[in-house]
Amino acid sequence: MKWHSGRQLNADDVVWNLKRVCDPAIGSSMLGLFTGYLVEEYETGEKDDKGNPKKSSRLWSDKAIEKVDDSTVRLNASTPQIAVAEHLFHYPMFILDPQQNGSFGPAANGTGPFELVEYTVGKSAKYKARTDYWGDGPHLATFEFVDLGDSPGAGIAAMASKQVDGLSEADAVQINSMKAFPHVAVYKVETTQTIVARMHPEVEQFKDKRVRQAMRHAIDRDKIIQTVLLGAGTPAEDHHVAPSHPEYAALPKYGRDVEKAKKLLADAGYPNGFEYDMVTRPDPIWELNTAQAVAEQFKDIGVKVNIKSLPSAQYWEVWTEAPFSLTAWGHRPLAIMTLGLAYRSNAAWNESHYNNPEFDHLLTQAEGILDPKERSKVMAKIEAIMQDDGPIVQPFWRVFSTVMDKKVKGFELHPSQYIFAHQYGVEA
Amino acid sequence: MARYLIGRLGLMLLTMACASFLVFAVCEFTPGSVARKSLGPFATQQQVQLLMEKLKANDPLMVRYGRWLGVLLGLIPDPLQDPGTGLNFTDWRGKQYFGNFGYSTLNKLPVNDIIWERLGNTALLGGIAFLLIIPFSILFGVLSGLKEGGGLDRSLSVICITFTSIPEFASGVFLVTLFVILWPLLPGTSPLNTDAGWSLPSQLVLPVAVLVVYDFGYVARMIRVSMIGVMEKPYIRTALLKGMSTRQVVLGHALRNAMIAPFTVLLLQINFLISGVVVTELVFAYPGFGRLILEASLFGDVATIEAATLITVAIAVTTQFIGDLGYVLLDPRVRIS
Repeated sequence: MKWHSGRQLNADDVVWNLKRVCDPAIGSSMLGLFTGYLVEEYETGEKDDKGNPKKSSRLWSDKAIEKVDDSTVRLNASTPQIAVAEHLFHYPMFILDPQQNGSFGPAANGTGPFELVEYTVGKSAKYKARTDYWGDGPHLATFEFVDLGDSPGAGIAAMASKQVDGLSEADAVQINSMKAFPHVAVYKVETTQTIVARMHPEVEQFKDKRVRQAMRHAIDRDKIIQTVLLGAGTPAEDHHVAPSHPEYAALPKYGRDVEKAKKLLADAGYPNGFEYDMVTRPDPIWELNTAQAVAEQFKDIGVKVNIKSLPSAQYWEVWTEAPFSLTAWGHRPLAIMTLGLAYRSNAAWNESHYNNPEFDHLLTQAEGILDPKERSKVMAKIEAIMQDDGPIVQPFWRVFSTVMDKKVKGFELHPSQYIFAHQYGVEA
Repeated sequence: MARYLIGRLGLMLLTMACASFLVFAVCEFTPGSVARKSLGPFATQQQVQLLMEKLKANDPLMVRYGRWLGVLLGLIPDPLQDPGTGLNFTDWRGKQYFGNFGYSTLNKLPVNDIIWERLGNTALLGGIAFLLIIPFSILFGVLSGLKEGGGLDRSLSVICITFTSIPEFASGVFLVTLFVILWPLLPGTSPLNTDAGWSLPSQLVLPVAVLVVYDFGYVARMIRVSMIGVMEKPYIRTALLKGMSTRQVVLGHALRNAMIAPFTVLLLQINFLISGVVVTELVFAYPGFGRLILEASLFGDVATIEAATLITVAIAVTTQFIGDLGYVLLDPRVRIS
């Protein structure tokens, strides 16, 4: 495996890259993924403006990332972790050239099938194929990303006049408008992208788990999928484990039951329901549409939800603090990855403030079981806890879709939304 | 005359300074930190803090404003270019020069590398639109103002009012449906990229059309009102009674007098065409100035926003100045004191 410059890739390069993303000063989100098994947080001894101790991160041991020989690197973890392969697949984990000090941009060295020849933020990125790629392909001479901006109509217009050969994403509404174009092919893939209406259990109204259960029984998932996603989704079961996850365990299904929900609310002390604000963001539009759909359905059990739509900039400042919020979660190939990030007590992105020691214990157990079938036995218990006691209402899993010109061959959609350009060809 | 010019120039600089400070202060209170937006929602808080320190974004407002002003005037070198920051930011023009707008956190490039090209693109779009708006609006305005309430006036007024009432995103989509999808004559977006085989002029047709359709009606209405007022004047009646043809009267007497008030309105359209065309730029994915300001504002890229503010204020003040000079030329009663 060679760099574009012709130099052989070796273990030193890999070790340098892995250590680099563990340095907090670099700002890589890989740091969050590695924390807990390769990286540990520690208190620096200083205090910040609010008097809280300042924290920093470091490798838990000098041997955490170990070069064994020129072509072997060993990761020595402090706790068992089955998602290592998935972490290394995460998009910020580029292998950059230590001799260029990790610079990224046109003329930067790399080991991939294409070289970046031009890169202008807000305009375009152009790639040129390399001739000595170690894998299959590439079958294209050049590849280009064009920034069409935020207007969804621009994507449709560009496909119509064949100015681009495909879009990186096309939602159900856009696909609907492009159905009539004879040269356009539609691609879809089931993902574990989802959205959760999560409630802080320490808040008065949401404290009783019967209230949370009532909220789960209030929604009609199929109806939401039809109206919001135009059918491009599959129902979710309020425990954030998807049928497409290898460790999924099937539990008895339940649907909308307004009577049961009202009874649960009454038992919890809210016979007439209550009113609450729900935070969401207006963009992408399907998130706001979901907020409106679930709010309508919550109304039917007596819970009046006021939607507070905050622009992205504001939203990301408060997304973990708002007591009731609708948050979209990205695709993760293993269920334990999201469960660990979102619902483990005191996890960095535990936006729902869920704190259940039994859940934590079962999750740690699951994280150490490599075989998905064995793991699903523990997952069944975790899923049951989430449906009984958990903080979320989860309506659906999204189907991700896009369009490509029919002349593009070899195109496949992957739930991670990666572009495997070395597999594509264009018919003359 | 020289004193007048220097006075106006001084006023322009004062306006620019006030506007730049106001914008700086407003950016202060918009939510969301630039570092958080650069690193994304999944970076840890400590990583965000580190980047804020590198960008010196935690310093008090006056310190940062003073630093920005100093860098702009070439009094101090840009501290962000110091290799010690680890930002890998370099400007081939140097660290300290007059007109150094600083570092764009959104584009990770010197502001000077991005803003002028974008401004040029919008100037091209706006310039062509302006050249079309002038004759169309004068034609419509003069013809409808000749005889108020006449058949011609009514029909032209309906056209003007209807077109001006249609918002740009609606007319943009409508034109794309007609000329891109139903009759594939023109490209649907205008990224100023000829790789797909569409020439640059063909990419300009639709965005210019949207701007002209939106704007000429408004100016035409102004000219119409002014024209009606002039046509009622006694000297016009005298000229007609003298035996001059309508054409001679209009071209020789009425037009110049009717254009005095609309002249300023026309010049104000320049301001709109430079910074207000963001909707058209969004619809057609046009790499212009309006889109740049929008993206920079949403991101909190203060350097780009400030640079854009200064440029827009300068353009606005200059067009006003040209307007005042134009008055002197058009109306002999007005003289600079």
